[in-house]
Amino acid sequence: MIEIQFYGVLQEVAGKRSTSFPLEEPTALVEVLERLQEQLPGLAAHMPRLACAIDDEIVPRTHTIEPGATLALLPPVSGG
Amino acid sequence: MTVSRHLQSEPFDIMRLLEETENDASGALVVFSGTVRNHHDGKEVVKLEYSAHRALVEKVLAELEQEVIEKFGVHRCRIVHREGTLNIGEDSVLIVVRAGHRPEAFEAARYAIDTLKKRAPIWKREHYADGSVVYQDGEQLVPEERSAD
Repeated sequence: MIEIQFYGVLQEVAGKRSTSFPLEEPTALVEVLERLQEQLPGLAAHMPRLACAIDDEIVPRTHTIEPGATLALLPPVSGG
Repeated sequence: MTVSRHLQSEPFDIMRLLEETENDASGALVVFSGTVRNHHDGKEVVKLEYSAHRALVEKVLAELEQEVIEKFGVHRCRIVHREGTLNIGEDSVLIVVRAGHRPEAFEAARYAIDTLKKRAPIWKREHYADGSVVYQDGEQLVPEERSAD
C-alpha cells in the first residue's frame, strides 16, 4: 500500500486530500500514475504538467516507488 | 502560532524579520512584499486561499535562501509565505535581503521572488465577487536537476 496525496486543483479532481493505493512491490511511478488515472479519469487533463514527490522529494517519473511510501501529486504552482 | 520558518498562517511581523537579519556590514536592505490585489484577468477578487506542501516548502525555501546568498554574495536572505485565507491588501509573501550594496540586494530579491514562483509548492485559489472559485494555473515543478545558469 502507498498513500497518495493530492494538492491544489487535484484535490478538487479527486474529491479528497489523500487516498490509499494498493501496491505490493516496487513499481515504476509511470505505472502507478496510469493505474491511478484509470480510477480517476479527471486526472488525465492534469497529467502532462503534474510533478511527483516521493517522501518529500520531487522525483522524475522514471523513479520506482516502494510499498509504504507517500506519493504527492503536485500540479503547477502559483505561490507569490 | 505556527513554528514553520517559511510558512505561516498569521500576518507577517516585518520588524521581527528585520531584527533577525540585522547585519552591521550590510549597507543595503531590500524588502519585497507580494500583496493580494482585488482583480485578476478582469474579474473582481474578494479573497485568496493559499495551500502548500509544507515539508517541501520548508526545504525548497531554505535551499533558495542559501542559493541567493551564494549566488549574489548578499549577507542575508529570508523568505516567508502565508498559507490559509488572505483578504485584499494582505501580504502573501515577504522577502528580506541585506547586502553590502544596493545592486546585488535588488538583484537578489528579484531572483528570490521569481524563483519562489517556479519552485515553491504553493497553490493559490481565487474567490471572485461573482461567487466562483478557481485554482490559478502556474509553473510546472521540475525535479532537482536544474539547468545551469
